[in-house]
Amino acid sequence: MTRWVGRPLPRKEDGRLLAGRGRYLDDVTRPGQLHAAMLRSPHAHARIVGLDAGEAATVPGVHAVLTGADAMAASRPIRPLIPTPVPLDDWCLAVDRVRYAGEPVAAVAAIDRATAEDALERIRVTYEPLPAVVDPEAALRSDSPLLYPALGTNVLWHDVLTYGDVTGAFARADGVLHERFEIQRYASTPLETFGAIAEHDAGLDAYTFWTNDQRPGLTLAILAESLAVPQSRLRLITPDIGGAFGNKRRPAYLLVCALLARRAGRPVKYVEDRLENLGALMHACNGVMDVELAYRGDGTVLALRVRDVADEGRNLISPTQHNLIKLGNIVNGYRIGAVSYEAYSVLTTKCPSGANRGIGKPFMCFAVERAMTLLARRLGLDPAELRLRNYVRRDEMPYTTPPGAQYDSGDYAATLRRALERFDYDGERRRQADGRASGRLLGIGIATSVEPAGTNLASYELITGRRAASGSAEAAMVRVEPDGGVRAAVGDPACGQGYETVVAQIVADELGLTPGDVHVERGFDSATTPWLYLSGNYSNKFSVTDVGAVLGAARAVRDKLVRIAAHRLEVAADDLELADGAVRVRGVPGPGFTLRELARTAYADVLGLPPGEAPGLEARHAHQNPLARPVGADRTVRSQLVFSNAAHCCLVEIDRRTGVVRILRHVVVHDCGRELNPLIVEGMVHGSTVHGLGAALLEEFRYDASGQLLTATFMDYLKPTALDVPDIEVDRLEHPSPFTPLGAKGVGEGGAIPAPAAVASAVEDALAAFDVTVRSLPITPERVWRWLSA
Amino acid sequence: MKPAPFDYVRARTLDEALAALDGDSKILAGGQSLVPMLNMRLLRPARLVDINAVAGLDGVRGRPEGGLEIGALIRHTDLLVNPVVAERAPLLAAATAHVGHRAIRNRGTLGGSIAHADPAAELPAALLALDASVVVAGRSGQRRVALDDFLVGALTTALAADEVLVRIETPDARGAGWGFAEVARRPGDFAIAGVAALLRGEGRRCDQARVVAFGAHERPVRLRAAERALDGHDLSTALAASAAAQAAADCRPPDDVHATAAYRSHLVRVLTEQAVRDAVALVTR
Amino acid sequence: MSDCSIRLRVNGRAVERTVPARRSLADLLREDLGLTGTHVGCEHGVCGACTVLVDGRTARSCLLLAVQLEGAEVTTVEGLTPPAGLSALQEAFRECHALQCGFCTPGMLAAAHELLAENATPTRDEIRAAIAGNLCMCTGYVNIVRAIELAAHRLPR
Repeated sequence: MTRWVGRPLPRKEDGRLLAGRGRYLDDVTRPGQLHAAMLRSPHAHARIVGLDAGEAATVPGVHAVLTGADAMAASRPIRPLIPTPVPLDDWCLAVDRVRYAGEPVAAVAAIDRATAEDALERIRVTYEPLPAVVDPEAALRSDSPLLYPALGTNVLWHDVLTYGDVTGAFARADGVLHERFEIQRYASTPLETFGAIAEHDAGLDAYTFWTNDQRPGLTLAILAESLAVPQSRLRLITPDIGGAFGNKRRPAYLLVCALLARRAGRPVKYVEDRLENLGALMHACNGVMDVELAYRGDGTVLALRVRDVADEGRNLISPTQHNLIKLGNIVNGYRIGAVSYEAYSVLTTKCPSGANRGIGKPFMCFAVERAMTLLARRLGLDPAELRLRNYVRRDEMPYTTPPGAQYDSGDYAATLRRALERFDYDGERRRQADGRASGRLLGIGIATSVEPAGTNLASYELITGRRAASGSAEAAMVRVEPDGGVRAAVGDPACGQGYETVVAQIVADELGLTPGDVHVERGFDSATTPWLYLSGNYSNKFSVTDVGAVLGAARAVRDKLVRIAAHRLEVAADDLELADGAVRVRGVPGPGFTLRELARTAYADVLGLPPGEAPGLEARHAHQNPLARPVGADRTVRSQLVFSNAAHCCLVEIDRRTGVVRILRHVVVHDCGRELNPLIVEGMVHGSTVHGLGAALLEEFRYDASGQLLTATFMDYLKPTALDVPDIEVDRLEHPSPFTPLGAKGVGEGGAIPAPAAVASAVEDALAAFDVTVRSLPITPERVWRWLSA
Repeated sequence: MKPAPFDYVRARTLDEALAALDGDSKILAGGQSLVPMLNMRLLRPARLVDINAVAGLDGVRGRPEGGLEIGALIRHTDLLVNPVVAERAPLLAAATAHVGHRAIRNRGTLGGSIAHADPAAELPAALLALDASVVVAGRSGQRRVALDDFLVGALTTALAADEVLVRIETPDARGAGWGFAEVARRPGDFAIAGVAALLRGEGRRCDQARVVAFGAHERPVRLRAAERALDGHDLSTALAASAAAQAAADCRPPDDVHATAAYRSHLVRVLTEQAVRDAVALVTR
Repeated sequence: MSDCSIRLRVNGRAVERTVPARRSLADLLREDLGLTGTHVGCEHGVCGACTVLVDGRTARSCLLLAVQLEGAEVTTVEGLTPPAGLSALQEAFRECHALQCGFCTPGMLAAAHELLAENATPTRDEIRAAIAGNLCMCTGYVNIVRAIELAAHRLPR
């Protein structure tokens, strides 16, 4: 019985957030805490030939100084994600070499941040500049300067994955569309920057961290190894997190705080400022993709060949992520029978890459959707019609793509048709024609996408040749307290997605309560929250794993409540139901037993328990999504597990005098299966779509040839404001997943994936008379002007 | 991002302010341009002289002979709603609406915008089109400087380290038509390029045309070739095109991360056309 | 490096402190007064997270030095919140799901408060213009606009 799941309930967490009573990382104050600042390299690539921090230590108010040499002596290297042929020691501070402008080389802990920054200015570093490497294709070449000479290359991974008879399909094709696409560097830039507080207990030799890190499972593993302290003596706590979208993690910063805290004997807090965030935390990979699409004359797409070069910057901790995840959406919603994917993961002397909203999927979708629209143009077909001819059909679900992704359910054609209807496609085409007649440049763009959710870490075996982590799982806890109240916790720290409300809805349904009765712990605390290495906030995994964990724990508690009540009432368990905070015999009016009374039995009056029943009313449960499996012998993989889908229709107008693009309308029809809370779901669609619009028109991290970031502040790295985007119009279909406990699918990345392609197609359509092909982003007014002037 | 240390003086009178200024000090008025630079440690003055408490520097007065006297400390928000400005210098109000966002406009000052002299700023350009002068106070008294002489280059003015800009004066612009147009990446951002135009009519003819481009040079620049294409000609809609054809001649726009010089020049032509067209329409009204 | 003594009112209460000249108002509020509802997002005046009301007008608290606020009346999100429950504006935000991570929200509320104090019947375009100086990375602004519209509708004219 679901009274609460599926309802658009306003959120429980909003009361405190609206009143300014949230508790974000920088709001946490530990007694005696010091504040850290980091000295960062001004050069993109250089040897460190001298570093003298002696004077910094003498600045009044400074309590500790840390250099790369200190870090080397006091910690172990951070283990790179991809094993390399030679060990590449990666410390939390640069030791003898810097490899991007902004790389930390030293850190200071002082009584306040201003003093710490004053002290940084007393540190003298002598650099011997080396040539920068800024372009990924240049970095591939054998004559390129190398970030790690011992490695002999800047390529961390190169492979060709072939699925199906690609050669045969190309031979049979009536034509091949060949295009090259580029994606710029951009990032989701949550409004709250990343930070951490580290506290060292010298007596226990134990550390406690407060941090807005969204991957606590991963981070605890790295901390334990680098600090040489077992996880049992580490504690990691997340407070309220001000947005994450993949960007909120940098274990090296936690290590810096930990080592400073140990030296100073006081807690040390570090919060990156916005310039550090934009220049040095993480960017989504920029890259270049060559796409060849083999097709028949009727528009059927037979095969896809992709060569993808991902620019990882100076990233040893999570490279190949952007490449690998593309296997999940490489054929998008289409029945393409053969796929070849050649991937390069290449280092350059720029900000490290990292997870971002959608990770590599926006670029993959951009390339495929652009190619489909260009194919439609070539064949004289309507872009919607071409897609409809190629979609995987609803009755083919579940459908396995050549690389091994299993699309669980969905009706892609119906999604597109609904979007066209909501958009009034025919009407807008008529208005476009009328507009053209009076000189207006109106354009309509369509893009559709699958939206994968959950990540099966076994996919890394494709790269490493061995399985270390695998599967997709999460852990949760539900507890009825001795006073009958209910508490729940999940190993996935919320970063704005409303877990405190949705988890409460789920638990309330299971236990016959209202969501107001269920207290969901804010965030993650490794001492009390159940967690796995796989725990964290990533890849849209809430509905894929977290829901199952919560349900499992709630049901275990429910069953125990029923067993206790059955024993006390001397009835069969099957005759009982939970409703309105009590357990009663079904259909029989009467008080039953409240949760409070049952809790008294479980925790206090334990002689009243059924024979063999242990005291307590708490359950921990970890849920593994059953769809994950190891990499196949044929190298197929379920890299992501559950698939939502969406169709975007975009209407733009271009000012032909200035090239300025205005988005007049943006319609999204999406299908994320069962919507656990439609209000929250719709908010996700709005927000993720605007991320995509920002990438399409405004956002770009640009570097000069010497590796200096030119768009280094919010004045130059442009985020969309309320005046830059329209009301996003949203409609939905609902095809539940057969493979998640409540039928819900992922929704967090959503619009970020197809929105850039929709805008690009709309701009191209507006400029149809000028024979323009949009192959890269962002679409700036100047670029449009050049197209108009050509 | 915390500033380097500095001393702070809160001046209660103009004389106090002037006494505190020297070669290693900066004036704190609105702070909307200054404080970010302090936070990024791009500027490291030894002393900040806060003039926000100096009385009498934020009024607006219509001059009997026409035109305005505007106190340098007037906040953009106040200038935007001031009826005397709306009546006598609507071009200035129109330009101010493009400055930043409300919270910035609540603190930012007209004098501060001029003294900061960002080449892409709206207000110095609008004032230049209005033939404004500024009044500068120093220890030895006040001097009046034509704005065209006061704006020297990018982020550089004729303001000495121990001087305070106290007043802006604009001559009579009754009957003049005005136009203002800019292109920015987002509303409220600094312009990629923009044009402010003011046209007076002498009977049916255009007289004393002022066409000023910003974001198109080291400082707001009078497009004199465009002005020459206007002066003495009949006020007609065809004027806009002929001004636009000459607009880029006096520009030397920068190449930067947001736009190339070529695009900026193009914008200046397009925006000149629009601003002049709007100004012509208002003059002949 | 000078320390200055200042007296101001914050959320209706008199405050007296001695602070270094370079301390921002944002840091005074957050660290000296424990009013952590005001958030810091960029420290260069663009993101709007730090927006508070100074003498009734919105201002970036990251661009104000605490020492400038002598004699001023500062209102933060804590001061926009009634002693019990939520204001009509805050309640509208909650009903319309106008916040996700909540980090931009205090600044948004200040901007919305200023708008509604001056304009009881804002159009959607006017609402968007009023909040254009406040970045939100989560909501895409759609629900924030709806919430402010709803609040305007409900407030007494």
